[in-house]
Amino acid sequence: MVDEKRAQSPIDRVWDFLISLKLAITVLIMLASASIFGTIIEQNQPVEKYRMVYEDWLIRIFQATNMFDMYHAWWFLLLMVLFTVNLTCCTLDRLPRVLKVVRNPKTIFDEAFEKSLSLAGRWRKKGSMAEWSGKYTAALTASFSAPRVTNEGEIVHLYAEKGMISRFGVYITHLSIIFIFLGAIIGNVIGYKGFLGLPIGDSAQYIPIRNGSELKDVGFKIRCNNFWVEYYQDQFGNPTGQPKEYASDLSVVENGREVLKKKIVVNDPLRYKGVWFYQSSYGQDKPSARMLLRRADNSAPPETFHLLFQRGEAYGVPGMGIVRILDFQDNFGGKGQAIQVQIEKPGQPPVQAWLPVADPEADRRRGDTFVLSLQGAEQVTYTGLQVAHDPGVNVVWLGCTLMVIGIMIAFFMSHQRVWVRLSPAPEGKVDVAVGGVATRNRLAFEKSFEKIQGELKELQS
Amino acid sequence: MEPTVANIGNNVYFFDFTMILLGIASVAYLVGLYGDKPSVSRVGTWICILAAVSSAVALGLRWVESYQMGIGRIPVTNLYESLVFFAWSVVLFHLFVERKFESLVFGAFVVPIAFATMLFAHFYGGGGAITPLNPALQSYWLHAHVITCFVGYAAFAVSAGIAVMYLLKANAEADKRTTGVILLFPAAKALDELVYRAIIWGFPFLTAGIITGAAWANYAWGTYWSWDPKETWSLIVWLVYAAFLHARITRGWHGRRAAILSIVGFLSTIMCYLGVNLFLAGLHSYGGG
Ligand code: HEM
Repeated sequence: MVDEKRAQSPIDRVWDFLISLKLAITVLIMLASASIFGTIIEQNQPVEKYRMVYEDWLIRIFQATNMFDMYHAWWFLLLMVLFTVNLTCCTLDRLPRVLKVVRNPKTIFDEAFEKSLSLAGRWRKKGSMAEWSGKYTAALTASFSAPRVTNEGEIVHLYAEKGMISRFGVYITHLSIIFIFLGAIIGNVIGYKGFLGLPIGDSAQYIPIRNGSELKDVGFKIRCNNFWVEYYQDQFGNPTGQPKEYASDLSVVENGREVLKKKIVVNDPLRYKGVWFYQSSYGQDKPSARMLLRRADNSAPPETFHLLFQRGEAYGVPGMGIVRILDFQDNFGGKGQAIQVQIEKPGQPPVQAWLPVADPEADRRRGDTFVLSLQGAEQVTYTGLQVAHDPGVNVVWLGCTLMVIGIMIAFFMSHQRVWVRLSPAPEGKVDVAVGGVATRNRLAFEKSFEKIQGELKELQS
Repeated sequence: MEPTVANIGNNVYFFDFTMILLGIASVAYLVGLYGDKPSVSRVGTWICILAAVSSAVALGLRWVESYQMGIGRIPVTNLYESLVFFAWSVVLFHLFVERKFESLVFGAFVVPIAFATMLFAHFYGGGGAITPLNPALQSYWLHAHVITCFVGYAAFAVSAGIAVMYLLKANAEADKRTTGVILLFPAAKALDELVYRAIIWGFPFLTAGIITGAAWANYAWGTYWSWDPKETWSLIVWLVYAAFLHARITRGWHGRRAAILSIVGFLSTIMCYLGVNLFLAGLHSYGGG
């Protein structure tokens, strides 16, 4: 603990505050209480929804304090930082002392220490010091663990320990929390999450992230070969309308070759190069525009893809840029269906164009190496894929594993220590003193100590 | 979507039987305690053992019956099943504590929790129908998640029951009271230790429960943590018990305050388990009955 007598400088006082368990308990309870608000006030809803529930003045207060997105609010993050600092400082303060105890164990079993132990015993044996020191070393090795032998003049001390690692359980647990935070930060900084509505037969290489405001190139194509819903059946074998399984048949296409094919269902995603594709939803009978994509010089076979009307869908074409749907008309200038798209190339201002179904060559006017045209509007079924890339997730799992291991060690293991002191007594006899102590579960240790002591006492020369 | 393949099955009779047994056991323990008749409490113990067996039979039967209905799965996937599983865990924990510490007074504080849970399951558990699992729930992580969580909750229930005993006993000791049933209680110090012992069983299970839940969420939709109300409440419970663990090693915070934290912890557990579904919106399945 802290040296009470030392004059307290402000720095010492801050340090004492930062390492204190009282702060830890307070912060834990504050985090718990604060979290409750976020479960009562629905998070991240549109303002109109809040207007139906709360008065205007309350909404203003909630907005000022970030209560509508409170788990990302500065004050909540500040609490987390305080928690982390507390944990780190506390470890820096205590770990060195634990290491010292472990590295320089108390090998000398002096009388003062013997008196401080509640588990201790004494007796006298006939025989030589060398004989008994050898016998007891062997006996301890057999029934407990191999002792260290220290000679102090004529006196011999034996020190044996078990479960030393239990002293580190707490630190493993605390460290694991830091790992989990670290993993979460990594995931937030360099990972991404997106949603892709992929019509059957289409493929995509760009994933809309941040609600479609940005498209992320994953470096390969994902193709939806098929999507279906399977229903539970009643006793007569008729489908009940209760879905049993949503499934998509997906392929990964890289450099024009299919490199992976997998049926995904909810709870069984497809993984490729760190990108995970999850079955998340589906849409049926949604109108969409079927687009044809050609090379201006016909150097590659043409491809088709769909732009879904409803979600202001964007589609990324490697090498060309991003196509965004702006408008669609059934009869554009008396010439039938036409779509208005915007084409965004990196580092260039966006270009807009009307593409009528009647004029497949309209897009040549842009002078691009790609030519886009509308083939018509149609109903499609698409599979809804949640797409995630989270390089921090394994750090989080490492943290979780360490946490469970650390807690088990801290709770269910105990550092048990046993000492034996042999000192020469008159008439060729040896005085024996034993003692033992455990950090946890003292009741169980008491029993094993009694057993060890009994064995040592019974040993015959 | 309303389940259309809803079937009750015979298992429910065994659960109702269990419920009645636990009611009788609760009465026996209370009478034994307040009438100072250990022999009556002893009867409570035997009825409890019978209830544990009948509950195990019911769970097994339910498992088998779910397969007979063509929607086979482990019976830990909806509100009813989680409630009866929780009650069963509480009874097993209780029998363990009673045997280990050789005191018949715990039953009066712990078994009524199991009884109340069975009553709740009977009246608000959707009639105990075996419902087919929607696709999001078809995961091995779900089984690990539910089982670890509820074993943890059961340990917390036992701890809170003993914490109430502790507070009564500590008050009596402070007043130097010399009469009444309170004398039958183990010493406050021993109860304090038991409150803690139950939590060091519950805490690792809850931790594992939260982790398996996160792993499942990550498998199902690609986010291991999304601050949904159920997740957040499980974190709140976890934080309260973390506070308890640290309170207990701090001077001046064990005893009374630790016991109160144990009770607060169990109240948050109930909120996490039932309150979130009844009062708040979220992703979890056993909502709204
Ligand atoms: C939710 C977060 C935390 C968890 C899960 C956790 C976990 C644990 C566990 C399991 C123990 C062992 C308890 C026992 O032996 O009964 C422990 C002990 C301890 N914790 Fe934490 N802890 C957390 C946060 C903190 C914080 C923020 C601090 C900052 C001061 C802290 C400081 C300590 C100390 C000083 C000990 C006692 C170590 C000893 O016995 O030498 N903990 N913690």
